[in-house]
Amino acid sequence: MSPATFDLLAAIAKIAVVWAITLAALLPNLVWMERRGAGLIQDRPGPNRVGPLGLFQALADVLKMFMKEDVTPLYVDKLLHTVAPAILLVPALTTFAVIPFGSSIPVLGREVKLVIADVNIGVLYVFALTSVGVYGLVLAGWASNNKYSLLGGLRSSAQIISYELSMGVSAVAVLVSAGSLRPSDVVAWQAANVWNCVPQVVGCIVFIVAAFAETNRVPFDLPEAEAELVAGYHTEYSAFKFGMFFMSEYANMIAASAMIVTLYFGGWSLPFVTFTGVWGGLLSMVVFWAKTLFFICVFIWVRWTLPRFRYDQLMNLGWKVLLPLSVLNLLVVAWIVATKGGA
Amino acid sequence: MTGDLLLFAFSAGLAIAFALAMVVQKTPVRSVLALVVTFFGMAVLAVMLAAPFIAAIIVIVYAGAILVLFLFVIMLLNLNEEAREKETRPVQRALGLVAALALGGLLLGVTLRAPAPPVGTPSAGPRIPLLDEIPVIGRLLFSDYLFAFEAVAVLLLAAAVGALILSKRRMD
Amino acid sequence: MSPLPGIAPMSVPPAAFLAAGTILFVIGLIGALLKRNALSIFLSIELMMNAVNLLFLTWGRMRGDASSHVIVFFVIAIAAAEAAVGLAVFVALFRARQTIEVDRVNLLKW
Repeated sequence: MSPATFDLLAAIAKIAVVWAITLAALLPNLVWMERRGAGLIQDRPGPNRVGPLGLFQALADVLKMFMKEDVTPLYVDKLLHTVAPAILLVPALTTFAVIPFGSSIPVLGREVKLVIADVNIGVLYVFALTSVGVYGLVLAGWASNNKYSLLGGLRSSAQIISYELSMGVSAVAVLVSAGSLRPSDVVAWQAANVWNCVPQVVGCIVFIVAAFAETNRVPFDLPEAEAELVAGYHTEYSAFKFGMFFMSEYANMIAASAMIVTLYFGGWSLPFVTFTGVWGGLLSMVVFWAKTLFFICVFIWVRWTLPRFRYDQLMNLGWKVLLPLSVLNLLVVAWIVATKGGA
Repeated sequence: MTGDLLLFAFSAGLAIAFALAMVVQKTPVRSVLALVVTFFGMAVLAVMLAAPFIAAIIVIVYAGAILVLFLFVIMLLNLNEEAREKETRPVQRALGLVAALALGGLLLGVTLRAPAPPVGTPSAGPRIPLLDEIPVIGRLLFSDYLFAFEAVAVLLLAAAVGALILSKRRMD
Repeated sequence: MSPLPGIAPMSVPPAAFLAAGTILFVIGLIGALLKRNALSIFLSIELMMNAVNLLFLTWGRMRGDASSHVIVFFVIAIAAAEAAVGLAVFVALFRARQTIEVDRVNLLKW
């Protein structure tokens, strides 16, 4: 088999694996996890009728989304109204293309690296996708021809572009210490040295808080504000488009957890363990997804524990607290790397 | 056609088609969205020109920040109405179109006929190692172009302050 | 257009990139001349600037010169600053004259 076809087949196999894990295994079960987790924290059962332990609740929800009538308000821009959920969903799913979900597996004598696309600007690519995802929110709010949706959409996009800054600057501190923009290089550095959450605690905390704001999760979910703005930017959406909004929120959550694990918690690596051969590669995949799952549970846990921020508190936090902290973190890291003569 | 030619044809075609769409659209919101797609096409062309970093910067800054700012202004001030009146200066606009097309032909002729850089003379800057230009750009920014870098930093600060002052409502 | 020695030749002929950049520039120019809405004019100007970025990158790739990337970087930064100030001016203009069409902003005309 020529190298070109081998690479093509390997890429297709990797895409299939990542889609199978995220779309088929994680996304539907996230709905179940969220609602059972909510029940657990709020001392009530949660969904437990559909299937054993309520595990088929997600299936029931998906069926409901498909079968409901799609109501579109009257004077909307039809094209924008239809396209907005798609613009929100596609960047969330495409983020997985650059995240390394395992070390490497030897197949037919060649090492197949467990990243779908090992581009040399991987981390920048993720930020570019976040910037594009803003359009979905703004258009959803605008195209609904509804004051409250517009307010929700504008609030949400202002929140996202504000927190993007602190997220970016904390990530730059990680990139300075790793010396490269490639996610696999960042993970390799962490595997060789120490997980980034230890020397860069401040940056890690800033990044995690900013990730909560980026995915519109409580305590930053004022744009969806269930009690205030009806449902914010997705008020006027029903049936499948509404389902797409929720899918994209969960996909964003998975992508944010994966980024946190890759940048700060060692990716697929464990301290003092080297992964070799086929079983090593598969084990590294399990480690990565276990860590990602842990952070998803943290997302769900925080959602049902904390109250929601008011909008001005939210903007204050983003600009006056997180941004200076992340810049300070970057300065300290850059100074250490420069004086040590690092990469 | 090789894969590269196909990719070029697709992204250049996408960019040009949506640029035309942007010029033709009546409402500003749709123009902005057409321009976003154009910028995406141009980012793909930048990757083909061994500049993936610049491609990411185009998407993050141009498509992701500047055009979002445009959308904010349009939505908050409700500037989305189409122009209702008749064209006030049709002759001037027709002449402008003719002049722009003539200039376009002239520019195409000049750029496509320009002679190749003479073989053997080295250019001013360092060679770009393909797909690894980030350290090279970093070094250039902080050595040869340091003054411009600092000047742009001050310019961005001045722009932020200026925008704030210009758009503040009078508090009297 | 043969490349300089020591630089990998481009798989797509550079003339194609130059033509694409020039066509995008002319489309932006047409938009800037024909539109009446000030925001549309501004959008066309942004398109012109990005088309020039594309041309710079093509010439940089032809000569293997990284300084074109630095120039493009600065052009993008300046475009961002210009967009911020320009939009602030439009906001102030809209508040004063309740219109954003350039044909109506004619108080200083003779």
